[in-house]
Amino acid sequence: MNPELIEKITRLIVEKLQAQNPPGGGGAANSVAPSASAVKFWDHTSSSEPKNISRPALNVSDAKVEEGQGRIEFGNYSESNSVRKKESAVKKEEQRTEAIYPASGVENPFDPEELKNLISKTPSRIGVGRAGSRPKTDTWLKFRFDHAAAVDAVYGDVNEELLKRLDLFKVSTKVRDKEVYIRRPDLGRKLSDEAKQMISEKCRKAPTVQIIVSDGLSSSAVEENVEDVYLSLQQSLKSLGLDSGTPFYIEKGRVAVMDDVGEALLPKVVVLLIGERPGLVSAESLSAYLCFEPRKGTIEADRMVISNIHKGGIPPVEAGAYLGTVIQKILKYEASGVSLVQKEG
Amino acid sequence: MFNNSLNSKAHRHFRIEVIIIKRYEPQKEDILSAGIDIGTSTTKLVISKFSLMNMAGGMHMPRIEIINKEVLYRSPIYRTPLRTTTTIDMEAVETIVREEYAKAGIEAKDIQTGAVIITGETATKQNAEETIHSLSDHAGEFLVATAGPDLEGIIAAKGSGAYEYSKKTGKVIANIDIGGGTANVAVYKAGKLCGTCTLHIGGRLIEFAGNQIKSVSPPIKKLLQQWGPSSAAKEGDSRHVTVIQKLTDFMAAVIARMLNRELLESDKPLLLGHEPDWQEDIEVIMFSGGISECIYKYETGAAGTAQYDDIGEMLAASLRESKELSLWKWVKPFETVRATVLGAGTQTTEISGATIHVESNELPLRNLPVYQIPFGQVLQDGLKRMPEAITQALEIYDPQREGQNFALYLTEMPYLGFRDIQELAAVILSSIQAKPNHQQPLVIVLESDHAKVLGQTLKVQNPSGSIICIDQIRVEHGDYIDIGHLLQTSVVPVVIKTLTFHH
Repeated sequence: MNPELIEKITRLIVEKLQAQNPPGGGGAANSVAPSASAVKFWDHTSSSEPKNISRPALNVSDAKVEEGQGRIEFGNYSESNSVRKKESAVKKEEQRTEAIYPASGVENPFDPEELKNLISKTPSRIGVGRAGSRPKTDTWLKFRFDHAAAVDAVYGDVNEELLKRLDLFKVSTKVRDKEVYIRRPDLGRKLSDEAKQMISEKCRKAPTVQIIVSDGLSSSAVEENVEDVYLSLQQSLKSLGLDSGTPFYIEKGRVAVMDDVGEALLPKVVVLLIGERPGLVSAESLSAYLCFEPRKGTIEADRMVISNIHKGGIPPVEAGAYLGTVIQKILKYEASGVSLVQKEG
Repeated sequence: MFNNSLNSKAHRHFRIEVIIIKRYEPQKEDILSAGIDIGTSTTKLVISKFSLMNMAGGMHMPRIEIINKEVLYRSPIYRTPLRTTTTIDMEAVETIVREEYAKAGIEAKDIQTGAVIITGETATKQNAEETIHSLSDHAGEFLVATAGPDLEGIIAAKGSGAYEYSKKTGKVIANIDIGGGTANVAVYKAGKLCGTCTLHIGGRLIEFAGNQIKSVSPPIKKLLQQWGPSSAAKEGDSRHVTVIQKLTDFMAAVIARMLNRELLESDKPLLLGHEPDWQEDIEVIMFSGGISECIYKYETGAAGTAQYDDIGEMLAASLRESKELSLWKWVKPFETVRATVLGAGTQTTEISGATIHVESNELPLRNLPVYQIPFGQVLQDGLKRMPEAITQALEIYDPQREGQNFALYLTEMPYLGFRDIQELAAVILSSIQAKPNHQQPLVIVLESDHAKVLGQTLKVQNPSGSIICIDQIRVEHGDYIDIGHLLQTSVVPVVIKTLTFHH
């Protein structure tokens, strides 16, 4: 099937459904703007009253209708999309937060206030109403859309411009192709021979902290969040007086690829910023894996992670600042993961 | 002998097991909180223990919450010691507190948070402000001084169980806390505050001595004057004048009218401060405070239940028999006379976010007024307003430029990237140049989770300045906040309050 055709039809149906809803009828859909087949971000950390921030999973706001061909072009993750443009789209979306939320699809709820309260407690698709025994069409389409965004995040590539801006050079693992990457996790955990040689030449040896970035299972996680985490982490390390080595980017990496980096560069602590497996709530969640002296044979229990770093989870800038404190603790106890917990006693 | 060695062997074996099964324990900490209520008629104290724990999973940034509150000690109920009719006996109050701490087996230095509240008519005494500040200084390193009729109502509603009831049932409940001097009403719906109101209604507004009236408080005098010469009741009159029954019945009726937001012009002498400011229709009512004790008798037989020679019992009877008040469902409170002190001891402390930037040598900080700067979700708008906002804050809180510090509360922040944070920090630092005392710590409270990065950035841009940057606290413009010591779990206790003395 032609994917553009599917997108076009999806959009048309969603718009039509939303147009049918009478204005102010209390339904969910009419408060959602046509382009806002949005992913709702969820704040897992805050104990205060939750506020959902919605923004489009894809750059839907950048979508253009090309009159001649009559097809709708969706934004993609490739170089053609400047980050600036994305940011403005984000801002615009966020201003509409109030309008998008809350979104209950239940007709004549028994207790609207309580329903609102329940919906605010979870990013899951609750209170969406139903048509017979099935979800309503727009709920279903939104679900499919979020699923598609997740798939795109896995198969996308990280923008070269971003890597250039952060001054990260690129190396790869033993994986060349995404299909292989998905089927052979073991290959994603090994640096290619060229990569090993390149980092040995380019990187400073035995730094206190080695920062590495990898797309992992979500290139969009890296595109959206890595810059803020990285800059904030750099600042945090600097204020704590911790020196960090030459950072670089590993394409199609898995978490344990840090062991190869540890062998080659002998850092005290490795911080690996890597895209998380996308879910239906967010396809853009980033993790920071930390390990004290990772080497061949490092066990998983000695790695630790701060996950859920994205615009609706842990704010990337705050995560970067916090990571500095965690690294300081790892260095103090000379351990990470379960060993750190044990030493802390 | 034989038995002994067997036991010790078993013991050793057991110890080895313990080491092997040592599990991951989430970060935990206990802190002690004190509540002290100096009311019109009575003074009381509670000590409670808060358990703090990291509620976030191992993969998240820490999120410290108060998971349990346990009341360890309740003092007897003392008469509030007065030196004259217009001054509080400060020494006597401090003696009570000291002795009660000793009975509870704690020392002032063990108290890590809590609040002293001065309520009702006592807040009108000449040395009310002095008393409460002195007490908060002596009775614990971070014991917060609070006052204000709205706050009294809110704290009482939390201590009586009204707040919990509304949260559980979703109903609209009015908690009416009537003590010696004032009736403080707070209305909650589903755990949300709808409004407050305070009336000059209390048991001690007319006091007796033997068979005679000993004193009549000014608002009541004013009311009786309005009623005309036939309703006179003055010092020295017999306590059996019929006007007293009429007065307590009237008070019950005023409460009913206040709950319906239908106060008459002739009721106004009893109003203290603003009119009822909730919009909801009240479904159920709860009484707490000393008068509620006269109704429910929870404390009968307990120490300190003295006879009060005043109109308290008559007022309680009038409430019980009021036709107007019987139209609502009455819910029994968890606490009667101790509602406010329990609220002060257990419901005033909040916990900051766990990723913050503080400089321990500056803490605790007390009585900082809060100046809110809403960004309206647009960073540039907020930045543009910042210099002017800080000048305004100075005008309000430090007009003489004496160096009264204040906290900036930044709200409605958009999503902030690293460069936005840099810009924000630079604008804050340049704007606070207007402050007269540059040695003062810069105190920033954020609604969103950005305190660590903002604090760090401010420190990088201004290494010599002292910075306190905390987040995930909800305050309001015009509130006062106190920020306590950094706890082991890397959070600070924060008490948000008002400081209004009724004169």
